[in-house]
Amino acid sequence: MKEKGKPNWLQLLRVYGTVIAAILIVIGFSVLSPASFATWDNAVNISRQISFLVIIAVGATLVMAIGEFDLSVGAMASFGGVFSAKLAVQGLPFWAVFLIPLGVAFAIGFINGWIVTRFRVLSFITTMAMGTILGGFTFWFTGGTTIFENIPESFRYLGQSEWLGIPVLSFVMILLTVIFWFVMANTAFGRRLYALGGNEAASRIAGINVHANKNLAFAICAALAALAGILMASRLGSAHPTGGNGLFLPAYAAAFLGMTTFKEGVPNIWGTFVGAAIIGILANGLTILEVPTFMQDVITGVIVISAVILQKLGRK
Amino acid sequence: MSLLQVRNLDKTFGKNYALSGVSLTIEAGEIHALVGENGAGKSTFIKLITGVYQPDGGDIFWQGEKVDIRNPRNARDLGISVIHQDRHLVPYFTGLENLYLGADYPKRKLWLGIRWDIMREEAEKLKVQLGIEVPLEKQAQDMSPTERTLLEILRAVRIGCKLLFLDEPTASLTDQETEMLFRLLFCLKSQGTAIIYVSHRLDEVFRLAERITVLRNGQLAGTVIKDDVNKDSLIKLMAGREILSSDVKKEAEVNSEPFVLEVKGLRTVDKRVKEAAFSVRKGEIVGVFGLAGAGRTELLEAIYGIRPKCRGEITINGKDLSKPSPAVSLQEGIVLIPEDRRGQALIMDMSIRENITLPVLKNYTARGIIAHTKELRDTEDCITELKIKANGAGQAVQALSGGNQQKVVFARALMSRPGLFLCDEPTQGVDVMTRSEIHRLLRNQAEQGGAVVYVSSDLEEMLEVAHRLVIMHDGETITEFATKGLTQESVLQCCYYPRKESEPSIEGEG
Repeated sequence: MKEKGKPNWLQLLRVYGTVIAAILIVIGFSVLSPASFATWDNAVNISRQISFLVIIAVGATLVMAIGEFDLSVGAMASFGGVFSAKLAVQGLPFWAVFLIPLGVAFAIGFINGWIVTRFRVLSFITTMAMGTILGGFTFWFTGGTTIFENIPESFRYLGQSEWLGIPVLSFVMILLTVIFWFVMANTAFGRRLYALGGNEAASRIAGINVHANKNLAFAICAALAALAGILMASRLGSAHPTGGNGLFLPAYAAAFLGMTTFKEGVPNIWGTFVGAAIIGILANGLTILEVPTFMQDVITGVIVISAVILQKLGRK
Repeated sequence: MSLLQVRNLDKTFGKNYALSGVSLTIEAGEIHALVGENGAGKSTFIKLITGVYQPDGGDIFWQGEKVDIRNPRNARDLGISVIHQDRHLVPYFTGLENLYLGADYPKRKLWLGIRWDIMREEAEKLKVQLGIEVPLEKQAQDMSPTERTLLEILRAVRIGCKLLFLDEPTASLTDQETEMLFRLLFCLKSQGTAIIYVSHRLDEVFRLAERITVLRNGQLAGTVIKDDVNKDSLIKLMAGREILSSDVKKEAEVNSEPFVLEVKGLRTVDKRVKEAAFSVRKGEIVGVFGLAGAGRTELLEAIYGIRPKCRGEITINGKDLSKPSPAVSLQEGIVLIPEDRRGQALIMDMSIRENITLPVLKNYTARGIIAHTKELRDTEDCITELKIKANGAGQAVQALSGGNQQKVVFARALMSRPGLFLCDEPTQGVDVMTRSEIHRLLRNQAEQGGAVVYVSSDLEEMLEVAHRLVIMHDGETITEFATKGLTQESVLQCCYYPRKESEPSIEGEG
């Protein structure tokens, strides 16, 4: 017996509820604080603020698509930022300052995947331990202090300059979101990742190379996390040994919010983007309204839980 | 006064009736069979009586009193229990712990610990009372399917069950284990427990039940007394139309055809397959039969490359497969239809389209990018060709019925244009119509030059479908039969009294 579909507006609310919530939040802030929130400058500002979060959350979404978690993304961002700042101080050329840390992060991510697939260690445990290891290395590199002296001007280019009045960071964010949306929705690789997340045994029987694809997902996630850290260091013109750690929880909050929209219950890139945008807009709007930071955290947490609960209720 | 009386039970999902106007009475101490094709409403009926769903209309009377079964706990308190296909046990609890799951443990005063001794004593008494043996010290995950089923029945009896639902309880049991289960059921019946037995296996239904209720499209097609019907008339009642009981099997003239598959001295690392040798010619359907645990599934898995082998040769179309793997197999035209549809074949939350094209995705990609239009068109063709009942190629497979899910599995297999099908219980849990469609499909494939290895626990089915039968026992292929003129008895004889062909007879020796 087939279950008959519910009325269409309910369906729409379920699929686009989170997007509608985002719009309502924007309208709410615009009404409460039209002079400072609803301005072009502030919109540009928000897009810059969320760029790090979006990039790291897109990586986390890839790993969530294969049914795993990478808890080392925050530590990896700190690691990437510090590593790259160190190289910049050493006077290495522009490309090396970015590509070497990205390559190393990719390799570490691959090792994460390898431990998970080869030895069947839970990704929770593997990446938590890897995050601890990375944290240790980061402190070793820096002696626990922020790197800010002798950072060349070129290192700050990506983080601080603008094209056509829009930050380069925002362009990078949009570009990566579009690329990874395309990869996940329209390529064989993306399809395979979703298949692995859906049913690993069946994927294996269907001839998918389980290990290679999973390892690659972990590697890309790590590289994106390191990139977020590098861009952050570039934006600040300094690198703090725990600078990226704070991105970890919001990144997963964004990915979980994202799962409630577009493709129900499935991690997806545009969903993650919207999730990150909601978190960023809330942070921005609440700061403008002078809500203390601790209350912002409470509000963000409540919104994530409510969104997931509402979506579950909608499904039944 | 009847134990259970159901009057005009209705259940709707959205605008569709899942069950409409079903009436039924169950007497104490009766075994009542419930049959019908997949989607006929059997599961819905069970769920209504056990409180999982609430009816939209109709009344339920329990021992003459009108009751309102609001939740499974409610049903259990009345004395209604259900034994599902997927058994409800905690895998790492022992039998004893599972037996008391959800019940009050006998405790010492002031909560100073659990009285394991009392539990053990009670359990032993129950076992004697029912005359069954269940290793209660074993963890549920280490038990065989029979042991787990018996354990669940024990649990139901312990909490004073008066009406027991059994949903396809013999799906993974061997004949011997089935006999044991049946003895237990007759014992329960003699003690006044009523049993509602849901099964696709009509032979079992005829052996066990006095009365048979047939559901069709959510409606009551009739309740009949066993002696008034035979298998054919029952099938007719289920389907609402005549079905050819079996398409005539063409005798394969294959003795001169080349071998598609040759297996020699195959052994797996875990020794579930110890010594397997057999071959399949072009155009042949070869059945592999054996008691549970004989290594049938494992043999298919080893050939397909998901169970590592430690020695032996696998040759496909004359080409030696030194390192079998799913990717190599698919390339060589081998497909596996796994036994566990949900666990190993389908990705339940993906669409029909995504499931069907998964192994052949590279045919639909240029530089890694998927050609959606072509993919959709081909998938829709598949859906039409195999008559898959769905709202469209984008529907998630979890929304389909069991039979239609299995069709998706076959559609996917056909996509890679295979020369060799490895089918593991392909008709388990599918309705009669789909079953005969699957048989026909495999026959067509064989006639068009394919080859099929067919594993099923249903011997009758095997004799109907296969040209030859390879018998396995304890990880070894022990003998082979041509199925023409073969009787079930002679095959079972061979399974229960195995003797390797090559070994000399020891009869008559001192």
